[in-house]
Amino acid sequence: MLDLVFWAPVMAGGAVAGASSGVLGTFIVGMRIPFLGVCVAHAALAGAVFGGLAGLEGSALLLPALIGAVGTALVLGLADPRRARLDDNTVLSFLFSATMGLAFLGIGLHGVLGKSDHDVRALLWGSLTFCRWRDVAGMLGAALALAAYVRVCFKELQAILFSRELAEASGIRARAVWAGFLVLAAATLTVNFQTVGGLMIYSLISNPAAAAFQLTRGCARALGVSALFGAASGLGGFLIAAATDLPCGAVIVLTSSGLLVLSTAVARRSRGGDSPTCNRSR
Amino acid sequence: MTPAVLELRGVRVRVGRHELLDVGELRLAPGEMLGLMGPNGAGKTTLLRACLGEVRPSTGTIRVLGQEVTALRGAARAALRRRLGYVPQLLPPRSELPLTVREVVTMGRTARLGWGRRPGREDREVVDFWLDRLGLRALAGRRFHELSGGEQRKVMLARVMAQEPEVLLLDEPTANLDLGWREQLVATLDRVHRQTGLAALLVCHEPEVLPPACQRVVWLEAGRIAAVGSPESVLSADPAQRLYGAGLQVLHCQGRHAVVPGGGDA
Repeated sequence: MLDLVFWAPVMAGGAVAGASSGVLGTFIVGMRIPFLGVCVAHAALAGAVFGGLAGLEGSALLLPALIGAVGTALVLGLADPRRARLDDNTVLSFLFSATMGLAFLGIGLHGVLGKSDHDVRALLWGSLTFCRWRDVAGMLGAALALAAYVRVCFKELQAILFSRELAEASGIRARAVWAGFLVLAAATLTVNFQTVGGLMIYSLISNPAAAAFQLTRGCARALGVSALFGAASGLGGFLIAAATDLPCGAVIVLTSSGLLVLSTAVARRSRGGDSPTCNRSR
Repeated sequence: MTPAVLELRGVRVRVGRHELLDVGELRLAPGEMLGLMGPNGAGKTTLLRACLGEVRPSTGTIRVLGQEVTALRGAARAALRRRLGYVPQLLPPRSELPLTVREVVTMGRTARLGWGRRPGREDREVVDFWLDRLGLRALAGRRFHELSGGEQRKVMLARVMAQEPEVLLLDEPTANLDLGWREQLVATLDRVHRQTGLAALLVCHEPEVLPPACQRVVWLEAGRIAAVGSPESVLSADPAQRLYGAGLQVLHCQGRHAVVPGGGDA
């Protein structure tokens, strides 16, 4: 029998991380840059690695991790892909490879300098089962800041998702709004992945949003359903793992993947087997 | 002379050693629909983007609605752009995001509303008006990316009209449409222009796309203005004839124009 009092922060942490990742995913998948989660995770890891080399340890590593993640998000947000003649995903690939290289360089330097990289590695993989109320409070704070930003800038973000070029041409300060979103996204992801791990975050960003897109019409509905699916993946995955004594992270990832498969099947059935991607001529 | 809503003087745009645009003088009068024609790579889109402040000329001045575009930055430039209705040549890339037609048209109100404000009753009325006017009401709840190309083009026009612009900048609004949809959209552009009296700069390749409301055409070639005048005169002039070739002629009928094979006059 599950000890609900003991596991309550873990369940709350899984649900909050899932819900906030679902909200982020709506915009990140909507902008066709789902790779952002992995990129930011590696940037945070690089920050933490060099923080570790500078003598920081434990929760103090969060600060350099945040600096790495937010710095990378700012570069991505303020870069003008059209001026650089680069696609967003090309910029993302560059940032990902550069931050991954820095992270592994730093991990190698830990060995050369005879320092332990245990705390740093824990950041990459996360440890949801060790989540405590203090961690939940941090994740909730980041999630609320993200929710407040999305509420204030929802219509601008929606216009940017449709077309950043058109948003700018119609007088929306798209670069500033998008950079602000990416900074908050990076902060939220960094706070989340010290608990759930960089790899699980990726699936919690992509799968709930993609599942919500299959079942909904309208950006606001997709946002709500994606947050709900994210929370259900985090909480449901943990409960399934606890009941079956399987690894928690893997089950959460598989739960979110299962939701996407199920949603796609339901959407396909409700459309009578038509592909949702086709443009129908009338 | 009536002040122009859009005026270019001595504008040159260079990218590296390539000169993309070299326009001596170009004016768009209030209420006028001006066609901007020319072959691929003539500088039509560059000119439109320069008017939006997206491309910075190396010399010259661009005044739009009385403001010097090249001098504007940040909030001032955004404020001017709110008054311009821009329809791009390409439709936005397909996205999985399930945006509805109503949401896309409502985006036209976004920049007008400002930070933190949600669309109110007046905004919804404007959106409904343009959904009705362009025959899109039945599609309002559909996903934008599930519509046909012609329907999407109409939605883009409704979005820009919901913005309540003072000038329209239309970059090949009928690109990649079949004949039926092209004719529908040309008729819609003509009707909207006549009903609103908005000044419009219409970029297009083909004479068939010019609506009857378009009474003046500028022919661009290699970034320079090669001919200006009525559609009939410009399309019969040398630059256009060189493009269409010896075996083709331009017919003019009830304000519409078409390129057909043959050498005689219509």
